[in-house]
Amino acid sequence: MDLQEFRTGLDAWLDEHEPELRAESGPDLTLDEEMEHLSKVKRMTYDAGWMRRGWPERVGGLGGSTLMRAYLGEALASRDLIEPGVYSMTEVLAPTMIEFARPELAAEMVPRLLRGDETWCQGFSEPSTGSNLGSLSCRARRDGDAWRVTGQKVWTSLAQYAHRCVLLTRTGSPESSHRGITAMFVDMDSPGITVRPIRAIHGRDEFCEVFFDDVRVPVDRTLGEVGGGWAVAMDLLPYERSTSLWHRGAYLRQRLGRLLATVPDGAIDPGDLGEVVQMVFAFHARSRGTQHRMARGERLGPETSIDKVLLATTEQAVFDLVADAVPTAIAIGDDADGDRWRTEFLYSRAATIYGGSAEIQRNIIARRLLDLGTER
Amino acid sequence: MMDAETAELLAESLGRAFRHESVAAVEASLAEVGWREALQEEGAAVIPLLFTRQGAANATSGALDDLLTAALGLPADPGTAFVLPEFGTYGTPGRVQDGGLTVRGLGTARMPSAARAVLLAERDGALQAITVETGGLCTRPVGGVDPRLGLVAVEGQGVLASGSTAVTPAAWENALASGRVAVAYELIGASRAMLRLAREHAVTRIQFGRPIGTFQAVRHRLAECLVAIESAEAAAAIALGTGDRVSPLLAGMAKSLAGRNARTVARHCQQVLAGVGFTDEHDFHHYFRRVLTLDGLLGDARTLTRELGEELLRDRRLPAAPPL
Ligand SMILES: Cc1cc2nc3c(=O)[nH]c(=O)nc-3n(C[C@H](O)[C@H](O)[C@H](O)COP(=O)(O)OP(=O)(O)OC[C@H]3O[C@@H](n4cnc5c(N)ncnc54)[C@H](O)[C@@H]3O)c2cc1C
Repeated sequence: MDLQEFRTGLDAWLDEHEPELRAESGPDLTLDEEMEHLSKVKRMTYDAGWMRRGWPERVGGLGGSTLMRAYLGEALASRDLIEPGVYSMTEVLAPTMIEFARPELAAEMVPRLLRGDETWCQGFSEPSTGSNLGSLSCRARRDGDAWRVTGQKVWTSLAQYAHRCVLLTRTGSPESSHRGITAMFVDMDSPGITVRPIRAIHGRDEFCEVFFDDVRVPVDRTLGEVGGGWAVAMDLLPYERSTSLWHRGAYLRQRLGRLLATVPDGAIDPGDLGEVVQMVFAFHARSRGTQHRMARGERLGPETSIDKVLLATTEQAVFDLVADAVPTAIAIGDDADGDRWRTEFLYSRAATIYGGSAEIQRNIIARRLLDLGTER
Repeated sequence: MMDAETAELLAESLGRAFRHESVAAVEASLAEVGWREALQEEGAAVIPLLFTRQGAANATSGALDDLLTAALGLPADPGTAFVLPEFGTYGTPGRVQDGGLTVRGLGTARMPSAARAVLLAERDGALQAITVETGGLCTRPVGGVDPRLGLVAVEGQGVLASGSTAVTPAAWENALASGRVAVAYELIGASRAMLRLAREHAVTRIQFGRPIGTFQAVRHRLAECLVAIESAEAAAAIALGTGDRVSPLLAGMAKSLAGRNARTVARHCQQVLAGVGFTDEHDFHHYFRRVLTLDGLLGDARTLTRELGEELLRDRRLPAAPPL
């Protein structure tokens, strides 16, 4: 199936099933309802075959170009059927499993993620380790055929819903930095794991603290090499900046379209609007190139930091425009519309923080793309 | 579609053409390379090859004249200049009233040596491409911030036409779109040149015992430049498309982005270059002057951006994004 066929088929299928796919209680869902709704959308698209396109057959996919994955998320976000942040975690975690897990493990687990049977989380950040990922200290000690994990993660998105976690641990000496990190795939119902949700600025329990107290993880759950966790993380990050960003771009266009359709006359300065629309277009153009490079099998690398900077800047510009256009809704609006704009505006502030902050992306661009050597 | 090897060869020869100092030599060299034939055969695909290099070399030529003349279906040659709309705008430079032709516009560096000029004029609400003898026009160098670009102010009253053809609004829109993408690429070429100069400076200039490129404030400015350039270039490439027709809507957006982002690049690069970037001796200022001026050709970023916003507010919907 080529992209054109996929697009036509999917669009027709979505036209037909849109009422079922739409969240039942409208846009002001609780997070529980939203997670349940997402599972439903994933299951329906998986069962109809759309969600399986672009993924390798050995993990339950139907093969074909990764552009189909990009288009599926785009179509769902354009119709406002998914929240792309949560939906697109698949695009970050599944490729990691495919590349680094034992083939049998990937074959067993990835379909569950694609079908929406399971939620997975990404345990990288720790209380003392944010941007400086190489300094992480959550400890894994080898004990026969298992790892014993003790330590803490934080800002772990959706850990309270997660069945599994792609976890980075310290297996080398405390000073081993990048070289002493090992990645593993952990069952979240393992004894010794405690999850405490954290209320975020936009009123949702977006992420969690996760505590590990002598948690047993079988050695065959190791992802990549022992001591090779840095490579796993570095490989994953460019994916975080490709398909998922494309989905996010589609979502931003949908929200901007919504603003344009509903905003009172005279509330938006045409020059400001024009500039934001151009930024959205430039991001789309850039990310489109990245989707095609990925589909050709090119290895994605530091150049995706440009995509990330653009997306983050654009997302904040879109919602700054919203804040200028409907300030009352954002500040004191208590209807569903006001609630949603406010939530989204607040959430957009994270765009320059997660997935490598705006500063870290610029560090990467300076060192890897401009070849300015190391800092200081 | 041009294959990669042909494109590479053409790009190299175009790059060499822009090493000449004088406009006449550049024009002769472009003729030798066969740029007009390439434009005819390959269409819009040659636009980035030529204009990026023209911008990077801080060179000037009549290539934009050729592009616009050909886009209106008229024969392009070194003896034919094109009268551009006045600075910052994109209204037709000519007007026919009571039988007389009045002209107010801009000419490129080709104008002084051209025998004929093509200009777009409005007559009773309809558009015409009119050919005139340049002898019948009043031209004077505009000087301004970028004298090396060789722009001239063009004026005339009661100008005699030696030929005219009707032009549909759509044909003019398409011609404008090609011209705008071309200027966008020239801005991008100039922006890359500024970044190259600033980067070279950052790795060689030593302060506090180390290259200034090790200071994060400097690094982040240069990173910002690369983001600005890459996004403008991605936008220009999509506007250019793969077919023959450049999208007018996207071309306007691409030119606005290239113009605005070039200013961002200039600001950061000048700050990194500091004192030396403020001199007449360092090359930076040539590019800075160039991007300030190029932004004003065929509608500046501010105007195009505002008009886009006004149009969207009238329609109350976003234009469809180019498909994956
Ligand atoms: C909504 C949200 C969801 C998240 N989800 C997850 C998740 O699922 N899993 C996960 O592991 N993590 C997650 N994170 C955590 C995120 O990855 C970190 O917040 C991020 O890496 C930054 O770390 P930090 O917050 O500790 O800030 P710090 O690293 O302490 O940075 C503080 C400030 O200093 C700047 N800074 C730090 N180092 C440098 C440097 N070298 N040069 C210049 N400036 C620097 C930063 O840019 C930032 O502005 C999430 C965060 C948010 C906001």
